[in-house]
Amino acid sequence: MKAAKKIFETALAEGRTFILENEAKDIMKGYGIGVPAYDTAKSADEAVTKARKIGYPVVLKILSKDILHKSDAGGVKVNLKDDSEVRKAFQEIMESARKYGSEKGIQVDLSRGVLISDFADQGTEVIIGVTRDPQFGHALMFGLGGIFVEVLKDVTFRLIPMTESDAREMVGEIKAAKILDGVRGQPPRDVDALVNVIMSISKMVKENPEIIELDCNPTFVYDKGKGALVVDARILIEGTKPKESSAH
Amino acid sequence: MTVSLGVETEGIDFFFNAKGVAVYGASATPNSVGQAILQNFIKPQYTGRVYAVNPKYTTVLGVPCYPSLKEIPNPVDMVIVAVPARLTPRVFEDIGSKGVKAAIVISGGFSETGPAGAAIEDEMVATAKKYGIRIIGPNCVGVIDTQTHVDSFFLPEYRCGRPKSSAVANISLVSQSGAFAAAISDWTSQLGIGISKIISLGNKCDVDDDDLLYYLGDDPSTQVICYYTEGYDREKGRTFFDTARTVTARKPVLVVKSGKGRRARAAASSHTGAIAGSDQIADAAYRQAGVIRADNFEHMFDMAKALAMQPPAKGDRVLMVTNGGGLGVMTIDALEALGLSVPKPSPELENRFKSRLPAYCAWHNPVDVVGDTDASRYDAVFDEALKSDEYDAFVVGMLLQTPSLGMDVTNVISNYQRQSGKPFVVVSMGGAFTTKAGEIMELMGTPTYATGEKAAVAAGALVEYGKIRYGKEFKQTSETEKR
Repeated sequence: MKAAKKIFETALAEGRTFILENEAKDIMKGYGIGVPAYDTAKSADEAVTKARKIGYPVVLKILSKDILHKSDAGGVKVNLKDDSEVRKAFQEIMESARKYGSEKGIQVDLSRGVLISDFADQGTEVIIGVTRDPQFGHALMFGLGGIFVEVLKDVTFRLIPMTESDAREMVGEIKAAKILDGVRGQPPRDVDALVNVIMSISKMVKENPEIIELDCNPTFVYDKGKGALVVDARILIEGTKPKESSAH
Repeated sequence: MTVSLGVETEGIDFFFNAKGVAVYGASATPNSVGQAILQNFIKPQYTGRVYAVNPKYTTVLGVPCYPSLKEIPNPVDMVIVAVPARLTPRVFEDIGSKGVKAAIVISGGFSETGPAGAAIEDEMVATAKKYGIRIIGPNCVGVIDTQTHVDSFFLPEYRCGRPKSSAVANISLVSQSGAFAAAISDWTSQLGIGISKIISLGNKCDVDDDDLLYYLGDDPSTQVICYYTEGYDREKGRTFFDTARTVTARKPVLVVKSGKGRRARAAASSHTGAIAGSDQIADAAYRQAGVIRADNFEHMFDMAKALAMQPPAKGDRVLMVTNGGGLGVMTIDALEALGLSVPKPSPELENRFKSRLPAYCAWHNPVDVVGDTDASRYDAVFDEALKSDEYDAFVVGMLLQTPSLGMDVTNVISNYQRQSGKPFVVVSMGGAFTTKAGEIMELMGTPTYATGEKAAVAAGALVEYGKIRYGKEFKQTSETEKR
């Protein structure tokens, strides 16, 4: 996809190897992956206008070439229900970002403002990720989110590119697979939509091998027939110079 | 031939079928590497010609010895190099001038020792490329071919047994480790497992895992391909994966990979990068490519023997037939733990069993034909079970300590196996008599194991490979059906 290449070029020109969230979501949309409605805003007024257009409640997230881990910089505010909450959140995010910068001794670039996104309804949380292994190359990881991935490490891998039956096997072979069938009276989840997201990520990485790491975390999977949404997307690409290490 | 994958099989045949072999660095010193290798080629089973190369001697162990290859009056197909690393660039000029296309470099002192050794290795490889010489090694024990008796292992046979080929089916092993290659040669010679080739690759300066995988995939004397690896060089995991995908549908490939420890990437910036360990990715790659991973060598050879001798299963339903109840229960436990399906016979089949077996037999799964049986009850169970088509694979307990069971049971088992085309594995548990009986069973083509657990691992591999071979045609029992 040409748009993706352009985004990667811009990032590298700015000296960053991570892709801003709005850019990541542009790329995802280009591959037919569902994401919550989003837009960007450079001022509090613009944020309010955009928020109204998307519809409340919304989420605000910092967009800066200097901030990879947005929460660490106080750059994420969720479940904002009206204009005044958005206005307040915008100011707070900018202040925290400045403070984060001065603590680190850097001038944080704030010119891009924030991402405004629809505060998506809670679905079954899953993680879809990509890593590039030195021996095997690109591999895709799938697992249920939250404690399943954090504590139980209940995840499964396939090399990219993969077939649809690989994707279906992955979804079926994690230990907690039954949760997607619907347990305790819940209807079954939209596994077809989930498989589509996995296949689209596989295609995206196949076509853009400069991606070295990718997280769709969380991705929400809804009731059968209601789809799936990548709520937070992170993409890291290969730098032209040796990659600087960054901690969580 | 050059395959699109970047696999290069040109010249590999010479390593196994060399009719004229020269040992560069042949030595008159007892217990030296240069003597031990030469010794392998003066055994009567090797029917090709052998020459020694060493300016110090005119003959070694009665073999004519020349100062260089040029003086050898006849053609040479392969050279085994056992000289110090620093001499190898010159030796390869000699090899090239003679027009030899294959060389096994046994010597160490190359890239495994650091930059100076790596420079010598590069020089050697450049010379080899210039002349189109394929290299196995350096820093390896080389190859054993049990049919042509090409044998570059410098381990004397009285210390390290050599396996034999079997008339039924044969396994080939590629090992990153020379020590393991030798130990497996010795071990399989004791076990009597049929082996076609053992290859130790050492530094892999030219011939690598992928070349051999492709070559062995087309080798008619290899029925199952086994690998031992400690990991892959940069991007070589991916090329192995790509090559394996072209082989596993026609021939089973098994791997033992060490280094299972989880090593999260220190520099990972994403969640996925922090969780993913290389071994998990290797595990996924094997599964995706249809490579069966074994936990250890014992499991690998239990599996390989079954896969070499039996057809893969077309479904996962296994019937255990036994003349000992305890063995039946233990084996069923092991089968279930491996995720195989062990369904009870349908009421119709149960009635058929009842009509043909004494009332004190048990006809669930396991079917217990009990301790006073002779071969006829096995006959009846196989007959009915195969007619019913309720099972895809059979594990047969054959406890020959009982006086009533004759050796004719081996005939019954192998006849039903052959007629049905379904896989059978046998458990013959006990001492000297039963071990001999197991050997006879294997001569008749049915793999036999000393415990139910080992037989279950073997049955598991036949089912696993069935999934790989038959894909969507394979009949998988769903979790709900298993209950």
